[in-house]
Formats: sequence, C-alpha cells, structure tokens
Amino acid sequence: MLGAGPPMLLFCLFIVVPMIAAVLMSFVKWNGLGAPRWAGGANWAEFFSDPVARTSVEVTVKLVVLSYVVQTPISLGLGLFTAGRQRYKTVYATIFVLPLLMSTAGIALLWESLLDPNFGALTALSKSTGLSFLNQNWLGDPHLTLYVVVAIIAWQFIPFHTLLYAVGRRQVPQALYEAALLDGASPWQMLWRVTLPQLRYTIVTSGILMIVGSLTYFDIIYIMTDGGPGYTTRVLSLDMYNVAFLQDQYGYASVLAVILSVVGIAIAIGLVRFSGFASMASQQEGAA
Amino acid sequence: MHRVSAPRIRGRRWLAAGAAVATAVVLAACGSAAGGGKTSASGGGAKGKTVTMWLVTTGPSPANTAVENLVKSFEKSHPGDHIDYNFVENQSYKQKIQLAMGAGNAPTIFWTWGGGTLQQYIKAGDVASLGHPSWMSDFLPSSLGAVTDQGKLYGIPVEGTQPVYFFYNKQIFSKYHLTFPKTWNELLSTVKTLKSHGVTPISLAEGDQWPGLMYLEYLTDRIGGPSVAQALQSNKKGAWSNPAVTKALSDIQQLVRAGAFQSGYDSLKFSGGGSDALVYSGKAAMQLMGDWDISSILGSDPSFVKGGNLGMAPFPTVAGGTGNPADLAGNTASYVSISSKATATQKKIAEEFFADALTSPSYAKSEVGAGEVPVTKGASPMFAGQSLASYDKTIYNSVEHAPSFQYSWDQAMTPQVANVMLTNLAQVFELSETPAKFESLLNNQAASGS
Repeated sequence: MLGAGPPMLLFCLFIVVPMIAAVLMSFVKWNGLGAPRWAGGANWAEFFSDPVARTSVEVTVKLVVLSYVVQTPISLGLGLFTAGRQRYKTVYATIFVLPLLMSTAGIALLWESLLDPNFGALTALSKSTGLSFLNQNWLGDPHLTLYVVVAIIAWQFIPFHTLLYAVGRRQVPQALYEAALLDGASPWQMLWRVTLPQLRYTIVTSGILMIVGSLTYFDIIYIMTDGGPGYTTRVLSLDMYNVAFLQDQYGYASVLAVILSVVGIAIAIGLVRFSGFASMASQQEGAA
Repeated sequence: MHRVSAPRIRGRRWLAAGAAVATAVVLAACGSAAGGGKTSASGGGAKGKTVTMWLVTTGPSPANTAVENLVKSFEKSHPGDHIDYNFVENQSYKQKIQLAMGAGNAPTIFWTWGGGTLQQYIKAGDVASLGHPSWMSDFLPSSLGAVTDQGKLYGIPVEGTQPVYFFYNKQIFSKYHLTFPKTWNELLSTVKTLKSHGVTPISLAEGDQWPGLMYLEYLTDRIGGPSVAQALQSNKKGAWSNPAVTKALSDIQQLVRAGAFQSGYDSLKFSGGGSDALVYSGKAAMQLMGDWDISSILGSDPSFVKGGNLGMAPFPTVAGGTGNPADLAGNTASYVSISSKATATQKKIAEEFFADALTSPSYAKSEVGAGEVPVTKGASPMFAGQSLASYDKTIYNSVEHAPSFQYSWDQAMTPQVANVMLTNLAQVFELSETPAKFESLLNNQAASGS
C-alpha cells in the first residue's frame, strides 16, 4: 500500500480537489473578477429553466445514442473482418486505421472544406456527375448538420474501435471454433454463440469509451459548426464552454461541468456493473 | 497581414472537452484563492521602474514593429524606465487577461478592445482611471467612447480604426450597368437584378456569427439613430423591443427571403477566406465587412485589388429612418489601459508612455506605414504614398466626419449578452427565429445577465 501514496496524492490534487471546487463553484455567481458571490441554488434552478440547456441535453443524448448505434456494428464488422490473418486483410486494416493517425483539428478542417457548399469537393462532384443530392448545405441545414457531425465523428473513431474488436477476436482461442465446428455449428451460430459472448468485455470497453467519449465530445463540433446552425449541434460540453469562457458565467458553467462529470461517471460505473465486467471473470479456456 | 484580420473571433480554438472541463475546474480553484486573500500589488511581478505591457497580435506584423520602435525611443528619452512588453496571440488573449485580472496579476499596461469587457474590469476596480488628460483632444472624438465610463477615460488608442463598409466587385456592377445602391430599397432591387443574372448578390460568413451583426448594427442606426444602440448597451429595461430594432430585424429577414445570400451562408466562416473568395472570384457581388477585408483580399488575390476592382461603399440609408447616412459602425480602435494594481511608480511611467509616446505624431505616422488607419487628429496628409492610400484616406475621412461611430455590439456589450445575441441573431438570419422571440430573449438576458 506504501506505493499508492504519490499516485493517490496526484489523483487527489488534480482530480478530486478540482471536482470538489467545481461543486462549490456551482453555488456562486462569479465572472472571473473580484470575489465570487454566494448564489445558493440559483445556478441549479437556472439549469432547469434554461431552454438552451434543455436543447443541449437533447442534442447530447441524440449524439450519444446515434454515435453508439452507428459506430458499434460497423466497428464490430470491420474488426471481425480484419482479424483474419490473410495478407489482403492486413492491407485493409492499415487503410482503415488511417483516420486514427490524423489530428482532430485536421479532420474537422478537412471535412469543413470538403463540405463547403460553394467551393467544396462534394459540390463540385455533384455538378460534374449530376448527382444533385450531393449538393446540400451540409453544415448549415438545421435538419442535416447533426447527422453530418455524427458521421464525421464515426469516421474518426470507428478505426480505433475496429482495432479493439480485431484484437479481441484474435484472442478468442481457436479451439472453441474447432469444437463448435465438430458440433455442426453454422458460421452464423459461431458468431452468436462463440464470438460475441467471447467479445463481451471488448463490447463493454468499447461501449464505455464510445458513450462517455461522445457525452463529452467537443473538438470537431467546436471547429466545424460551433454549435450551429442555431443550437442544433450545441452539445452540453460546448454549452459549458460558451457559458464559461464567452459569457463569463463560471458558476452556472460549473453546474454544467458537474452534471457532465456525474452523468459520465454514473454511466461508466453502471455499464461496468451490469455487464459483469467488474468481476473480470475470464470465460476463456484454461483460465481459472 | 496588413491589419488585425479577425479581431472579434473570441476564444481559443482546438480545445478538447476534457481540457475545457479541466480548465473550468482549475479556474474554480484559482477563483477561491483569488477571492480570499489580497494579492501582490506588483502587477505581473515587475519591480521598481519596470512596467509590464501585454499587446495582442495575429502574427509578426509591421504594426508590432511600430510598437517595438516606440518603446525603444521611449526608453531612450526616459533613462531608467523600462517597458517589458509581450505580444499575445489574438485568440488566447481574452482568457489570459481575464485570468490575470481575476488573480490580481494583470500587467501594468494591458491591451483591450474596450466596451463591455473593459467595463467589467472597471466595475471590479481593476482599471486605473486616466481622468481627463490633455492628450484627449489629440484623438478623433468618436474613438474614445469605447474606453470612457461614466465620463472618465480608461484607455488610449494603440492601433488603428476598423469601420465596416460594403466591399463590392466593380466588374460585376459594371457588367450589369449597376451603381452601388444608396438606399435599402435600391439594395433590394439590385439583389433582384443580380439574381436574375445568376450572380449571388451578397456573400455572408454567418458561420462566424459576427458578420450578421454588422447588418443589425447599421440597420438599427439608419432607422433609429445612435440612441437605440446606446440604450441597448446600457442594458436599459426592454430596450430590445425598440421599434427600430424590430424593423431592422424584419428588414434582415426580408433580405434573406429575397435570396440575397449565397447557399450555405449560415455555415461559412470568414476566417477560411471563403466569403472573400466569392467576391473576388466573381461568384458574389458584395460583402459587408470591416476594413480589414481590403488587406484580406489583397493577401488572397493581389491583382484584384491592385487592378482597382474592389469597390468600397457606405451602408445604404433606410426610407423614413432618422439615422445620419454618415454614421459608422465597427471597431473604433484597439486600446491599452493601466491596471489599478500597479504601483504608483509604474502608473506614472505608464501615464508618461501614454502622454509622450502613444500620442506622438511620429507614432501615428509609423502606424500609417504599417497599414493602419490611426485615430489621431490631422492624420489625413500622412497617407500620401501608401500602397492603399485611396482606401485608407476614405476610411480616415469617413471616421473623422462621422456624427456617430457605434462600437461593434459584441465588444460593447457585456459578454453575457453578446454571446446570446450572436447565436440568436444567427437564427434570425436562418429564419428559424422571429424578431419578437429574439427581442424577448435578449430583454431577458439583459435583465439577468448583467
């Protein structure tokens, strides 16, 4: 236990203390200057009556759900596909992983210029091929932009989750498939009865990362749409940034920060608990 | 770059959510410390006869050199005094100075855009009043409003003025035998004509939100005169319901409905250069923008500007409006102020720097040389021989003779109101919010957010 001292100290200093400070901050009004003023529950009451916050919560929930629903099947499919040891699959795997190597800002700027309705590549493509559905106001149409953002975030993160699934699949003992084959299982049955149960911890890990990650997602949205058009892509983390650093309302921003942290931690703990991940019991052959 | 190209883009880009949470949390920690005890009065840790100065920059520019030379000559003529200056990148400056102010650690001399943010610092007792210095009369009167609070002066112009005009493609206008519209109705018929020829009438970078604000500023002034904006900026109760604001907002939506703006105007950003490109490539006929647009277009397409194709015109008048057609809107200037936490010696040196150096005609001249339009009186002859002299001279004369020069609202108002105003105005431009809803939201924000 002696060795836990310094890490615990750092953990408290940089995680626990600031978190407590944020909770305290959520009960004051402060614009960054002078002394904070005690506000009681005013900031918290504001959260429940603030239409922008309500919109942000809705947008965030949509982003989390859509991101999970879009990213999981694609990552799983690609992961299982690239887990094979054939050489051409290695080539594919390398190509799939490329977006992972790009910086988020680079991805955002790249897509922003591709989707530009006047000078963008998609518009040019639509003009030269006559495919008029490509000529959309991708980042300015309130009915479209959130889905575009979901797609780009998926494009950014699917490679990482693909990698997780591919690694997970490669660790499933070959003997299980041989046994299933002897029992006359079809490939479909092998997927449902062997692969997926064996991958359950990978699914949970990837799910936690996806859900908590998209819950606090910020960068691409900030660079590409800055929450717009209107409030249609203003996720909670962006709202918090705006309230804190553009509106100088640090007390109310702390309310949003506390809510984001608590919800994020609660979801992570919940997923770990209900999935049996916490017990970490290995179901693999040979493990105790 | 010739001028500060994007002075109003607030906030630091490329911040991850995690970092934002962490910063908010760290700020929280700083705040409780700053709220508790008294902090050192040395201002940036400087001692004795050294003063610190923070200035904003968008990168290496001749304007920076002008300031550097000014400091050198000041130190020469004031032996023993030392000014320790630092240029801070434009985007991150607002947070840096806000943190330093909150921690009681501001430099002796700090850069400011004046207006609502400076007013917050003044209210918190962080800014030293300059009283009524004799050099006030050296500057154009319209340039000092942004650093004046309750009759007292708190800053001095350090860099040039940036009023807003329509910039247009002269080739397009001559091709269709058009002259630049002088009234709002003429503008609407020009829009119609251009559309019938397949040209986008107006380029708008509303993805940045502040370009749309320029329309509201000018329309409000043309319709109701400068007193309307003054009432808004002082957070008068119900000021946003002024009929001039209502008319301005519905005029904006009339322009949108007329199809004046390019497709995707609500996501295009000025910083990407796309809205300029539409104008100089001949896809769009005009753009309402701050005067930095001249250097911005010059940077992207020098032959377009040098060939005399870039036209510049004042905002049209509105029938029945009471505002003076010569009124301007935009950034009156950039300023420096003195921190109240500085020592008496430091304040004295800073005041001498203001009175002896920043007001000197030779500094105004080097500003002109750096491509700025200074707000010093009598600068008109200084533009002779400059590469953009014709534009600069027109700008200077219009500022000199403007009955009112209203300061950009997003700078003039408190940050609490400005941010909400920008986001909701973008929705007015998208026709997804009615003028009435905009007004009631802003009235509420002004009542609660100040």
